[in-house]
Amino acid sequence: MVKYILKRLALLIFTLFLVITATFFLMQIMPGTPFNNPKLTPQMIAQLNKAYGLDLPLWQQYLHYLVNAFRGDFGTSFQYQNQSVSMLIGQRLPISAQLGAQALVVGVIAGLLMGAASARNKNNKIDGLLGVVSTLGISVPSFILGIIFLYLFGFKWPLFPVSGWGDSFSQSVLPTLALAVTPAAVVTRFVRSEMIEALSSDYVQLARAKGLSEKEVVNKHAYRNSMIPVLTLIGPMAAGLLTGSTLIENIFSIPGIGQQFVSSIPTKDFPVIMGTTIVYALMLMVMILITDILTAIVDPRVRLQ
Amino acid sequence: MSNPILRVENLHVNFNTYAGTVQAIRDVSFDLNQGETLAIVGESGSGKSVTTKTLMGLNAKNAVIPENSRLLFKDKNLLELSEEEWQHVRGNEIAMIFQDPMTSLDPTMKIGQQIAEPLIKHQELSEKDALARALELMKGVGIPNAEEHINDYPHQWSGGMRQRAVIAIALAADPEILIADEPTTALDVTIQAQILNLMKQLQKQSNSSIIFITHDLGVVAGMADRVAVMYAGKIVEYGTVDEIFFNPQHPYTWGLLNSMPTTDTAEGSLQAIPGTPPDLLEPPLGDAFAPRNSYALAIDSKEEPPFFKISDTHYAATWLLDERAPKVTPPAQILKRWARWEELQGQEA
Repeated sequence: MVKYILKRLALLIFTLFLVITATFFLMQIMPGTPFNNPKLTPQMIAQLNKAYGLDLPLWQQYLHYLVNAFRGDFGTSFQYQNQSVSMLIGQRLPISAQLGAQALVVGVIAGLLMGAASARNKNNKIDGLLGVVSTLGISVPSFILGIIFLYLFGFKWPLFPVSGWGDSFSQSVLPTLALAVTPAAVVTRFVRSEMIEALSSDYVQLARAKGLSEKEVVNKHAYRNSMIPVLTLIGPMAAGLLTGSTLIENIFSIPGIGQQFVSSIPTKDFPVIMGTTIVYALMLMVMILITDILTAIVDPRVRLQ
Repeated sequence: MSNPILRVENLHVNFNTYAGTVQAIRDVSFDLNQGETLAIVGESGSGKSVTTKTLMGLNAKNAVIPENSRLLFKDKNLLELSEEEWQHVRGNEIAMIFQDPMTSLDPTMKIGQQIAEPLIKHQELSEKDALARALELMKGVGIPNAEEHINDYPHQWSGGMRQRAVIAIALAADPEILIADEPTTALDVTIQAQILNLMKQLQKQSNSSIIFITHDLGVVAGMADRVAVMYAGKIVEYGTVDEIFFNPQHPYTWGLLNSMPTTDTAEGSLQAIPGTPPDLLEPPLGDAFAPRNSYALAIDSKEEPPFFKISDTHYAATWLLDERAPKVTPPAQILKRWARWEELQGQEA
């Protein structure tokens, strides 16, 4: 197991190297320059280029970036002067991550409960109702839900604050719910179909033939087996949620990383774009690694390979 | 021997589907005696598996069993049990061995624990005691080095070993009736023989009764005391194993025996029964086997044949046994079997 994790970590570093390389050269292809203020004289631009090391040959720039990136230094933002990219990300990522983690926990737990309830009541009213709810949850985008939640619970019945972050936990309730609906719906549908399959499997029949009650059959046999494929779904979902939602952050005025990522693109803030992309990639890979480790814990068949 | 532990009387099982009502079991009655093995034989769709599921109370939700059907076990009618009472019967008084050992064990649970589960449930043993008993059971079903393997997961075992574990699970609570639903169909032939021997040996030890469901007559010969042949949701012929093998009377039984390879039929091709079983959404009038039966009489398509008695233990539902029916000559192979029957009778007399 330890050997397996080490192997995966080595692979992760190699993938990270590929991501850094690809982002670096893609940035070079991008047209335009960050220094497009008409007030800048050519001498000033030359000075800026020198200050940021943009006058060096490309391969030197690349090596520089690569070495620094592995040290955790993604350079200095063009947009916010004197702010290092690592610091910017360090300020904003935890906010997005907290929101995402809350949404993930709420969404996954709701999905597991609703999916199992749906499967156990297959083809009756409860299943039908949950089917409608989960279809709506998947098809209505989170920003529309965000606006609806804002109107209903922030304005019509002012139960929660409508914007801001960090002053009180109640500020995070509405964005968490808005973000949690889609994962909850996806997990519900997935768990439903996995659970239906598990409940009709031979080993569940055998468990019933042992004289176990339906509750024991579901909790001891069906749940664990239907969790295995669900885990593979949750990994990438977690990465997506933890790295922030641009739209939800904008609607609820949350100073998260998603908001900053988008604003850095039109201003051609290359270091911020690259830094954020690399952090996103890293988080996705770490989440997938964690998922695989969890899968190995749940599924003995994976453990031995 | 004549002490039935289980009596099935006029069992009907219907399934309500979108297409209509499927009459899967149509008036089946049989007895199971203490310590005997009854084989139920038939092709796919004949109602074998529905019979077993009904005996375990595990039919799908859309199954409807009319009130005059009775499953008498220890003076109670199983069909009147509540779900909770059923849980006491299942795995405890009546247990089942499943067909496919590759899929019938939970892949995420240790095998020892899976064997211990019915013990914890029915005998209220602690987990530790149940695992100790599970180890004994594993040794009893011939798993080598059981101590080392009690914490294994199913995927670490071969099919034959897994089927031994499935048998251990069924035997855990010392049931009075063991239902074996094609327990060797998914195994290769050498392993089949081992598993069948194991079952016979274990039955001798515990004096339990076995209902053996199969489509393989070769397996039946070595295992069963009595045989019931099912077709289209009905029993068409039943008798002792010798009576079915050497004195078969129903053309469907002839067909089954004819389609089984023997040393006599080493040459040429196997004789299959032509056609397919009828659609049980609308079971045919009369004898359901008539459309596939080259010996069919005119009456077969009009009126259902009753059971004709051949001996105290042997009955068959075919109009050929009616005194008004013309004498037909069965296939050559069956005639050979009949000749062998004469010899056997002669030896006894």
